[in-house]
Amino acid sequence: MPLPIAGFAALVVATIALIALVVLRPSLVAARGGKILAFVALFFLPLLVTGLGTAAQMEHSKSTRFCLSCHVMEPYGRSLLVDDPAYLPARHYQNNRVPREAACFTCHTNYTLFGDYKAKLRGLRHVYVNYLGTIPKQIKLYEPYNNRECLHCHGGARAFEENEVHRPVRAELGKNATSCLECHDKVHNAHGLAGVKLWQEEKP
Amino acid sequence: MTTVAPQLIRRLQRAGLLVALGLIVETVTLFWPHPTAFLVFLFLGGLLVAAGVLLYLFAIVSSPLPSATSGEPSPPASA
Repeated sequence: MPLPIAGFAALVVATIALIALVVLRPSLVAARGGKILAFVALFFLPLLVTGLGTAAQMEHSKSTRFCLSCHVMEPYGRSLLVDDPAYLPARHYQNNRVPREAACFTCHTNYTLFGDYKAKLRGLRHVYVNYLGTIPKQIKLYEPYNNRECLHCHGGARAFEENEVHRPVRAELGKNATSCLECHDKVHNAHGLAGVKLWQEEKP
Repeated sequence: MTTVAPQLIRRLQRAGLLVALGLIVETVTLFWPHPTAFLVFLFLGGLLVAAGVLLYLFAIVSSPLPSATSGEPSPPASA
């Protein structure tokens, strides 16, 4: 589990204080203790802090807020709030079938940062296109949606396995030969949400 | 008493400055959950820290051995 931001900041402050000590009292480095201090302040702690920071950034990038922080993703965020259970992402999000704070990552686990090196390069390209390129009107997945993401939760679940519609195609679903989205075809529909009623969560 | 060569001091100071700047950049990006923040963390913060750490390592391997009392660096030891 990554370090909380407050803990990370405290570690950074402690590291900078040690660095200041080495920089402002360089004569300390002449002694053995000073050499160890310089090693800790200028080598060990900076690498430790950078490693912990990377882990924290990776955790951040799983958050729904992170994914929706780019303007182009706003319609996809709105699609989670459609007041119609036929919309697959909305049904999952609103009924806590996916954790709301990590909704995008739960169903798109191999996306950009979390995918292979090709996916990571695509992620860098997304940032480039977002700031310097031309954003396409309609965003598409690079590869067809993989049933693996659905079966990760639904596979083995009684309601899914014993469903009369699923039974005849269960093997094909497992092999990704038939897509779940062939029947459950109302997904984000991000560019067809004009005028659609959105769900307002009632706060207890 | 041993002293520290001025060149080593200068390199340690520069290394310290680079590492401190890198750590500050890394910390600031953690408060901003945005893909750009991740890139700034990696390519600015990470690069500054890496440069500082490498400069520190270079400083300690390239500095002459400190001499006793005189304050002058002693010549490198012959193999």
